[in-house]
Amino acid sequence: MDNDRSHDNLKEQDYLKDMPNHEFDEAVNTMQSSIQDEIAASTDLLGDKLDISMLKNEYSADDVQYQKKIQNLEKRYSHVRKTRGDGNCFFRAFGFGYLEHMLSDKKDYPIFQENASNSFQKLMDLKYPSFTVEDFFENFISVVNSVKEGVSHTELLNTFREEGMSNYFVVYLRLITSCQLQSDSDFYQNFIDGGKTLVEFCKTEVEPMYLESDHIHIIALTSALGACVRVAYMDRGGDDLSFHDFPEDSQPTLHLLYRPGHYDVLYPR
Amino acid sequence: MVGSALKRLMAEYKQLSLNPPEGIVAGPVNEENFFEWEALILGPEGTPFESGVFRTSLHFPTDYPMSPPKMKFISDIFHPNIYPDGRVCISILHSPGDDPMGYETSAERWSPVQSIEKILLSVMSMLAEPNPESGANVDASKMWRDDREQFNKRAEVLVRQSLGLPEQL
Repeated sequence: MDNDRSHDNLKEQDYLKDMPNHEFDEAVNTMQSSIQDEIAASTDLLGDKLDISMLKNEYSADDVQYQKKIQNLEKRYSHVRKTRGDGNCFFRAFGFGYLEHMLSDKKDYPIFQENASNSFQKLMDLKYPSFTVEDFFENFISVVNSVKEGVSHTELLNTFREEGMSNYFVVYLRLITSCQLQSDSDFYQNFIDGGKTLVEFCKTEVEPMYLESDHIHIIALTSALGACVRVAYMDRGGDDLSFHDFPEDSQPTLHLLYRPGHYDVLYPR
Repeated sequence: MVGSALKRLMAEYKQLSLNPPEGIVAGPVNEENFFEWEALILGPEGTPFESGVFRTSLHFPTDYPMSPPKMKFISDIFHPNIYPDGRVCISILHSPGDDPMGYETSAERWSPVQSIEKILLSVMSMLAEPNPESGANVDASKMWRDDREQFNKRAEVLVRQSLGLPEQL
């Protein structure tokens, strides 16, 4: 499918070349938003829990490397829940996956809830205007508190499937990430390349929606919330899966599957 | 979604009315519809647009602040980063990825914690410091680069016009 798309894009570009500037801009915008709409129409923000063996169907049978990796994945994990590939997938997978886990296992809840509650004041300390942050915080904390108040699994799932609520939650997770990066800038600055300052990095690569997450986002978010996440990496490198725990040497609560450019939720056997 | 957008727009209106930034007046065109605003921007001191009062319109989407507003100059304007039809071409009004103008990757982008105030302040500094690299108005970019005197004259006429004064004394 990706190949078809890039082929179409090439044709489009030819015809775009002769356009005046502003028409070109609009054509590009229309194209981009139609690609976004296509993704939106074809995947839920958060899918149903699927048997892990379903992943096999996504690759051809003679793709030995991936089929073998999926077999290994099957030994450890029973199910996968997919997220929409809209650039927010890490945050959405993290948000839902972590709260879902805490519905049945409350062990990690108190520390998570405490860090969540304190996050607003930390943003105020960094001089974010409260009127731009408070709606996102209120939505976020009410979803976090609903876990303690006995929200049902279906209700939680619906919250993350409803675009408005779900995206508001993602915005706030991005803010927590940004806040953590800025609060410990001496440490995180070392990971930033391209000559950006840490604040520039936060404003251009963390806070805006639909931008993909990198290691640095995961490190910052998990340490801000005291969360433990294991990511299983499945890509073209190596013969087997690789795993990474955030923070290192922790006992992971949530498991995520990474395939290049995308995160889904995994359920251990 | 519309409810959250409205709540946020009302909060921003309140903020802008209580603490207006220097040289900016902004608010809904009528209080029945918070999604259509007008803003007056004072041309910054020491620039060709000094003392002009420029009328602009802001149109907010129903998912604001997830998406940025669209902004347009109603007053006549001649500037490298404003299209001849008045639309403003500035990175903060675009989400990342939505990038036809090839803004610098370090340029500030739209995010839900940006605000109307931030946009208007950015537009004000754009008036002071045009970026001829991302030329929404090619003629203005050329004149800005090659014939600054002519550009300044043209700006002065627009300033007088924005104040309702005759073009020349």
